[in-house]
Formats: sequence, structure tokens, C-alpha cells
Amino acid sequence: MTDFDVIVVGAGPAGAAAALEAARAGRSVCLLERGPYPGSKNMYGGVVYGRVLDSLIPNWWEEAPIQRWVTRRSTMLMTGDQAVTVDYRCSSWGEAPYNGATAFRPEFDAWLASKAEAAGAVLICSTTATGLLRDGTRVVGVRTDRPDGDLTAQVVICCDGVNSFLAKEAGLYPPSDPANYTLGVKETILLPREVIDERFAVRGDHGVDIEILGCTGEVPGGGFLYTNAESLAVGLVLSLPKLAACGRRPEEILAELKAHSAIAPLIEGGQVKEYSAHVIPEAGYKMMPELIGDGILVAGDAAAMCLAAGIWLEGVNFAIGSGAAAGQAAARAVQRRDTSSAGLQDYRRRLDSNFVMSDHRKLREAPHLVMSDLAQQQLPRIACGVMEQLFTVTNPDPKPGLRKIIRGQMKLNNLKLRDAISQGMKALRTFG
Amino acid sequence: MNSADLNPAGINLVACVKWAELRPEIDPLHGSVEASQRSSGFSSSDFAAVESALRLAQAWSDQGQVCVVTVLCAGPEDAEDSLRDFFAVGATRVVRVDLAEQRSSAQVAELLASALVPSQLNAQFVICGDVSSDRGSGSVPAYLAHHLGMQQALGLIGLESTDPGSLHATRRLDGGRRERLLLTAAAVISVEGSVATLRRSSLAATLAAKQKTVELRKQQIDWPTEVNRLRPWRPRARVLAPPAGDDALSRILELTGAQSGSTAARTLRLDPEQAAEAVLEQLAAWGYLDDSPPA
Repeated sequence: MTDFDVIVVGAGPAGAAAALEAARAGRSVCLLERGPYPGSKNMYGGVVYGRVLDSLIPNWWEEAPIQRWVTRRSTMLMTGDQAVTVDYRCSSWGEAPYNGATAFRPEFDAWLASKAEAAGAVLICSTTATGLLRDGTRVVGVRTDRPDGDLTAQVVICCDGVNSFLAKEAGLYPPSDPANYTLGVKETILLPREVIDERFAVRGDHGVDIEILGCTGEVPGGGFLYTNAESLAVGLVLSLPKLAACGRRPEEILAELKAHSAIAPLIEGGQVKEYSAHVIPEAGYKMMPELIGDGILVAGDAAAMCLAAGIWLEGVNFAIGSGAAAGQAAARAVQRRDTSSAGLQDYRRRLDSNFVMSDHRKLREAPHLVMSDLAQQQLPRIACGVMEQLFTVTNPDPKPGLRKIIRGQMKLNNLKLRDAISQGMKALRTFG
Repeated sequence: MNSADLNPAGINLVACVKWAELRPEIDPLHGSVEASQRSSGFSSSDFAAVESALRLAQAWSDQGQVCVVTVLCAGPEDAEDSLRDFFAVGATRVVRVDLAEQRSSAQVAELLASALVPSQLNAQFVICGDVSSDRGSGSVPAYLAHHLGMQQALGLIGLESTDPGSLHATRRLDGGRRERLLLTAAAVISVEGSVATLRRSSLAATLAAKQKTVELRKQQIDWPTEVNRLRPWRPRARVLAPPAGDDALSRILELTGAQSGSTAARTLRLDPEQAAEAVLEQLAAWGYLDDSPPA
């Protein structure tokens, strides 16, 4: 007899979704959270895409604690003093059922966890799972940092975030390769709501998501700027080994982004409220661990479910999708009294049949492409150089042809046509 | 609390805590304070009060006394999840007196005292944190002692149990000195946060506490409508002519009057009325009452 049918470790989006689904299926569920409340240990700057919530919480948008609905999506290619921006605006994204939103994760995670509690899950905060309990090779529970802190269950779902110690202890992770990880750093900058509305040309609860390429100098990575209700999230994602090798501090590189002529006017006069940093499982599909073991499942960032595919940067929806699938599979396995690795294979089937694994499998080369020299260095310089030449009036000289400008910029940036076509084909195969 | 709550044969210890904003967000423009459940909680000294009560109860229980530890909280409904944690660490009962808005220390004490009066709870020791986190003045324990008619020992930095019903307390004095007190029931004491760290509850107790019920008391107190506090009249600053002098030093000397003759100190032994007259006379002589308010 175990204490619970299912223990979920970590009350982030993956853990809350897993606990919610398992509890709804009638299983006894314990949701462990190391922070004093769900989301308290979180560091996040991004957009929450809520379509995955439609089946979990109907009309979720009526109650979810969001900051702004994203109705502008900009992609910016940047050099030291230039920027080219592709800006897309969609007013229907600002109406139900919406598309994506900025949110404060302490609020969002607590809200989602409250749904799991309402479904019957028992949430225990300020409690860290320090290890696994085993019966032979089979996981039968977790050890916590509380006195007499052993807790048994038929299935343990690890949603303990990137660098999951439990999944590693279970032997589900291969040895870590730092190249698979990036470091995310972020500043939250306070600005009055009306100033944000004016600077970003939005109204009401509409907001903007700006993704930036070419802003990280010699370190491969990218930048972002999101609007919250009364603050901005400005940050960088930086290749971990390259950052270590270059010897620069991430805050230095972030300061350069903030001082760029395309960004500085947007954040001018703001008050820095917080600075935070977090490791991101950047490599996605290629770094995923074994997702299933005897009595154990892995979901969310713990399973490297973060999608960092350049034009698509998503995490919370993949966490919720994988967590929900884990919760459903665990509940089914408990009902069938087979929580062995074979009995839990339903988890893999559910992931394969929905967007979580389909997108990751399809875009498995995308993180590598995005971190390549072409995307990081040459593309931003060529794009900005072409624009500068295109729009600089050089009378009395006649206007140069577009083809000549592009070829000149490619030559200037050491990009051969053959390599450009080759990389373009790769990109088409990946994103196409 | 009713008479059934009494523990007549043993010792009742009550730890008083207050749900307070720990990290308030203050609007820089209009100064409004935004509170949220997640940034609210109990101060370290409140936790020390609960732990002290539990330690005393344990010590006296080991000597054969029946001890009951009650945690009494002034706070809103938001506090209940956190209050259940006190069951997990060993509190016998947890009672919340509904307090949904900011009140003065005197009013908080009155509210707590209304749930503590001897007819309702026979508390031998009421243990409080020395200050709450929301700009606490540390005066709630003193008000409590006044309302309950108990002796008081406040701002303690150490507590040791002796015989059941009595304890040694240590209080900080000026100049690094310490005062040792022998306290017997009934007393209100307040402890600093450094006195004790609240113990960590076991997992089983934490789970069991989820099912416990925090008792609610809605005390009816008709507080008078508060008016904005009137400050005592202060004379306006005098306008002085710019000091004359060729250099900065001489101008500063003239401005401060550092080398001019000063009024010699006088000691007067007068009746209160005469003393008031003398003070006014001296103030007028110094020129402070030129713009005194109309009578």
C-alpha cells in the first residue's frame, strides 16, 4: 500500500498539468513543490501559448492571470548599430480564444496548481524531493528534505525542471553536454502602462513580443523583449559553453542590448525591478532523456521539452502538454495495476500523437541552425547591410540593383552562394 | 473560545501571531501599499514565539504537566493555509481572529485580548513576537498585558523553562548588559526572532495538517471612527537676514551664533502653571512666538 497513487515532483506548468489530469482520473495525487508556493522558484520571460489549455480548462482565458495578450510579434535582426524588424500585428490574437500571452509565472503557476488542488491533488510546498526510493530497479517513491520525509507512490512524475536530479538519479539522462544548454538572463523593467502602450503602439491589454537575433556578439544566442501590463521583460539567451569561453559576463552583453539604438528608447526611464538567470534545455529533441522507467515518468523542462527553434520559442505549452500526457498515462497505468516501464508506455504514445513530440521531432535540427554562424553573425549583418544600401540615397550616383547589393553584402560577410543555398535548403527541410 | 477550551489542570500557552505583509509593494506616486497573499506571512519573531511556546510545553510536559499550545492569529482568511502549518509543528489548536484590514497596534491587541480574556481561555503565558513585519511598533504585547491584566516581559532574547509554570527570561539592556527575569504565570512575554527558529514539520504531520480546521472567531468590536492624527503645533522656521562677513567662516559663525553669548542654563522649581508661563516667556524672548496661532 503506497501513500499516494501518483507523486508529481515540481508544481510548474508540467507538474500542475500532470497532477490535474491524474487527480481528475480519480487517482490520489501528491504535488511536491520546493518553493513556498508554485512558481516561486521560477524564472521566466516568454509567451504562454494557451491553446493546449483548451481541453484542460475550458475558457481558461476568462480566469488565467495573464499580463497582456500578444497581438504584435516582431523579429529583429541586429548588428551593433543597425536593426531590421519584421513586424506582424494581428488584432484577432487579442480576442477570445486568443493566441499567446505574457504572464507572471508565480501567478500563472499558482493558478494552474490551484486547479490541480481543486481536482483533489494534495499540494505540499517548501518540500524538496532529494532522491528516489527504489525497490530494485523500480522507483517506488521519493525522499524529501522533511523529517520522516519518505513518500511512496505507484508512479513518480518528475517535473523538477531543467537539470532534473531525479531523472538523472533514475539513470534516464545520458551524461550532460553543456552545448545542449543555454543561459537565459532577464531584467524586469518597470514602466507605467500608458508609456508602454505609447511606445509599443498597443492599447488595453494587448502586448508585444520581440525576438532578436544578432544581439549577443561573439556568443551564439538571441534576445527578447516582452511587454507585461506595467513592466517589460528584456533578456538574452546565451550558449553556455561559448559564454564561458569568451569570459564575458551575461549582464555586460545584456547592457549592450539595452543600449542599442533600437532598444534604448523602448526602455528609457524604466526602473529595473529584478535581474534573474536560468539554464534552458536548448537542444530539445536531441537531448531528451529516456522519458519512461519502471514507476517513473519525466515531463516538462526535466525532459528537455523546451522548443527553441528560432522563429518558434515555446516552453510552457510543451510543459503543459507533456505534463498532461504524463498524468493521464500514470492514472491509466495505476488503474491497470501495471506501472512498470511497459505499463507506462502510453505516455510515449500520447506524446507522439500530439504536438509535443511531433514538433520536437520535426524541428530537431532547428536549434543547431539557429546557433550556426550563418544565423548568428552573417544573416543579421547581411540583412542590415542590404537595408542600409537599399535605402541610402547616393545621388548623383544611380541606385544599385538589389541583386548587386545582396551579392556585395554576401561577399563582404564571407558567405558563398553555395553555402547560402545549402543552409537555405537545410532550413527549408527543417521548418518546411 | 469557550469554557470547553480550558485546560484547568495544566498549563495553557498561547502564541499570538499576526498575518502581515512581508514584502509590500508601495506605489511611489501615491504611496498606496499593495498586499498579496504570496508576499504575506508571519515575521521571524512570530515564528520564534510559536517555537518558544512549543519548547516550553515540551519541557513542562516532560515534568508531568498537561500543556496546551494554542496559536492565536489576527489576520484575514488568506492566512489559513499558513496557519495550518502550525498544526504540523505541534500546536494543539489554531484560532484565527478575523482581521481583514490594517489596524493600529492598540486595536490589534484589543482584538486578540477579546479572544483571550480569562472567561474564554485560561492562558498562563501569552507569547508574542516582539514586532510584526508591517512597520510594527512592538506595542501589541504591552497593550495585551494591559487588557488582560497580566504582568509583562517584553523584547526577550532568551527563554528557559524551570519548574512547570515558571521560566527564566533574558532581556537586553543598554551597554551590553543583560537582565535575568524569573517569570511566573500569568504573563505576556514577547521574544525577538533570534530566540528560536520554528522547527521543520515532518512530512506526515504536514500531510495531516492539511485536514485540520483553523477555528474562526469574528470578534465584534465597535472601534470609533478614526480621524487623521493632529500633530502638535510647531513654530515656523524664522527667516533670518543673510549673514554678513568677508569670508565663509565668519558668515557661518554669524549664522550659527557659535561664538556669541548663550543663555545660561537655569533651573526653576515652579508649579505647572508657572512653569508653562516661564517656558512661553523664554520662547517669546528667543523670538519663537512671533507667529503663534490665534487662541
